[in-house]
Amino acid sequence: MDTRSNGLDTVRKRFSVTLEHVTRLYRRDEFEVRALDDVSLKIPKQSFVAIMGPSGSGKTTLLNLIAGIDHATSGEVAVGGEQITNMDERELAAWRARHIGLVFQFYNLIPVLTAFENVELPLLLTDLSKAERKTHVEAALKAVGLADRMSHYPRQLSGGQEQRVAIARAIATDPTIIVADEPTGDLDAKSAEEILNLLTQLNQRFQKTIVMVTHDPRSERFVDIVYRLDKGVFVGAEKGGAAPRPVMGPLAPE
Amino acid sequence: MKYIFLTLKNLSRSKRRTILTVLSIAVSLFIFSALMSLPNFANQMLADTSSSVRLACRTKMGLDYPLPESYKTKIIATPHVVAVEPDIFFGGIYHDATDQFPNIAVDPDKIDVMWPDWGFSAEGVEQFKKIKTACLVAQGTMRRFNLHVGQRIQLRGTVYPFTVDLTIVGTIAKGPAPSFLMFRRDYFEEAAGRPGIVDNFWVRVDSSSAVPEVAAALDKQFANSANETQSDSEASFLGSIIGRFRMFFHVAEFLGLVVVVAIGLVAANTAAMSIRERRGEIAVMRSIGFPARTILTLFLSESLLIALLGGLIGCGGAFAVLKIFAVNADALGPFVVIRIPPFVVAETFVAAVLIGLLSAYVPAKAATRRTIVDSLRVID
Repeated sequence: MDTRSNGLDTVRKRFSVTLEHVTRLYRRDEFEVRALDDVSLKIPKQSFVAIMGPSGSGKTTLLNLIAGIDHATSGEVAVGGEQITNMDERELAAWRARHIGLVFQFYNLIPVLTAFENVELPLLLTDLSKAERKTHVEAALKAVGLADRMSHYPRQLSGGQEQRVAIARAIATDPTIIVADEPTGDLDAKSAEEILNLLTQLNQRFQKTIVMVTHDPRSERFVDIVYRLDKGVFVGAEKGGAAPRPVMGPLAPE
Repeated sequence: MKYIFLTLKNLSRSKRRTILTVLSIAVSLFIFSALMSLPNFANQMLADTSSSVRLACRTKMGLDYPLPESYKTKIIATPHVVAVEPDIFFGGIYHDATDQFPNIAVDPDKIDVMWPDWGFSAEGVEQFKKIKTACLVAQGTMRRFNLHVGQRIQLRGTVYPFTVDLTIVGTIAKGPAPSFLMFRRDYFEEAAGRPGIVDNFWVRVDSSSAVPEVAAALDKQFANSANETQSDSEASFLGSIIGRFRMFFHVAEFLGLVVVVAIGLVAANTAAMSIRERRGEIAVMRSIGFPARTILTLFLSESLLIALLGGLIGCGGAFAVLKIFAVNADALGPFVVIRIPPFVVAETFVAAVLIGLLSAYVPAKAATRRTIVDSLRVID
């Protein structure tokens, strides 16, 4: 019996995300960029965490690895108890469709689709019938407070509303983990606060693990843990300002 | 099927661009189908005459040189010959130089025997044989100039410097061209001062198997004379005339292909620009979990739909225009019977499919090959 792999499996089951000695190198023309350098951390299940650091610290790279839209150069990445490091592109696409809900800084809604159709997009990858998809979409839009905007196009929505639709799209498939890259980056203070409150509600009501990259200092009081990166190196984690509530497993990563 | 709405929604993204692309493909495939149909009319004409019992006997020197009318009596005496009709091309103008249509002078006595397939009206043939100034007119010309039986018309000579004054006594329903006119050669002879020449002798034989034998016999009869003859079946005779246009047909087919390639390149450029604009959306869809193959299929579907719509409009437009043209533009004579045959319709749709698929494949494949991270960088 492989004691080490059994131990690793146990750890992965306790944590939503596990990164072990992850390095990511990029080649840009003749230069090699070390975006992440031997990063190891664990994100507890059902927690709302922020990854923060100065520009170029590797935050988005880390997020991309967790979301399965990039591959680590070395090390291992496990999300939802599943080892994703060695999955090929086709496997990763199918895995993302089931397990990941993505929220982008600039919303990235499809402009020719209504709010309803944008939220329905990830559901097209499932085996749900049209009626079932409709139920899911309506529930997701209701959860973000936009049940009355289903037939609106993105150009007919405010920035905050667009981001809500993007969040609805991210949760429509009931993913294992929601990954948000600078979700408040393009919003005014009021809208940003609303989005952060919404994410908090999703975390608390629906027990969703949320990993958010941000450099908005206001976010610290909404999250359970803040992981800090600098120049691709994990420098430490600290408790966020969110109200304490039971979470599975220890808070402090290694 | 559940992705069809995505395809349709994306086509409505920029309605103006979609419409212009459809129309540009439609115009090019209109030109393509019209040009590719040109050679077919010649083949159709030859096919129609392939089992004819008529042959044409003309001077060996070429179509522009006449034969003496005295040859008629010798030709009629040749075994297997049933009827002989000399004809002379008058080339007269009705009203203006733009109002031209083919007009010839023939002997009246055997026209119904020589050309029973031309649909002469019975009354018309009878009057043609009785009245020296009678003429028979094809229905296309009748329609074009709003003529009626009993009307008098004048044809101003271009080859011969005189005008003939004719009375329409009947119509030609299915002649060699929907614009034909025939009048009597004795009237022509009288007006021309009895030149005693003909351009061509039409000879009808008793069976199609006798055509080669009679042709050989006629040429042998007039060999080593001042006016040697060359006799061919009607199909060969028409083929030699049409043969002058063979190079034109080949050029037309080549131009048709060039047009398709040109519009394919334009469509490819348009597809590339459209796909480039949507790189961010591609990245988002892939990050959501859409496989690259599905996204590629969506782009190809959009492009194919546009191209097929263009093909439908283009081919349909060519079909309609050529039909209307055939009815109204009789001045071109035989050329008005251009139709779009089924195989050209099939070729047009194949061209549309190729334009649709090939124009989008390369840029779509390239776009889906980019890493998601690089594509997302475009948005940010």
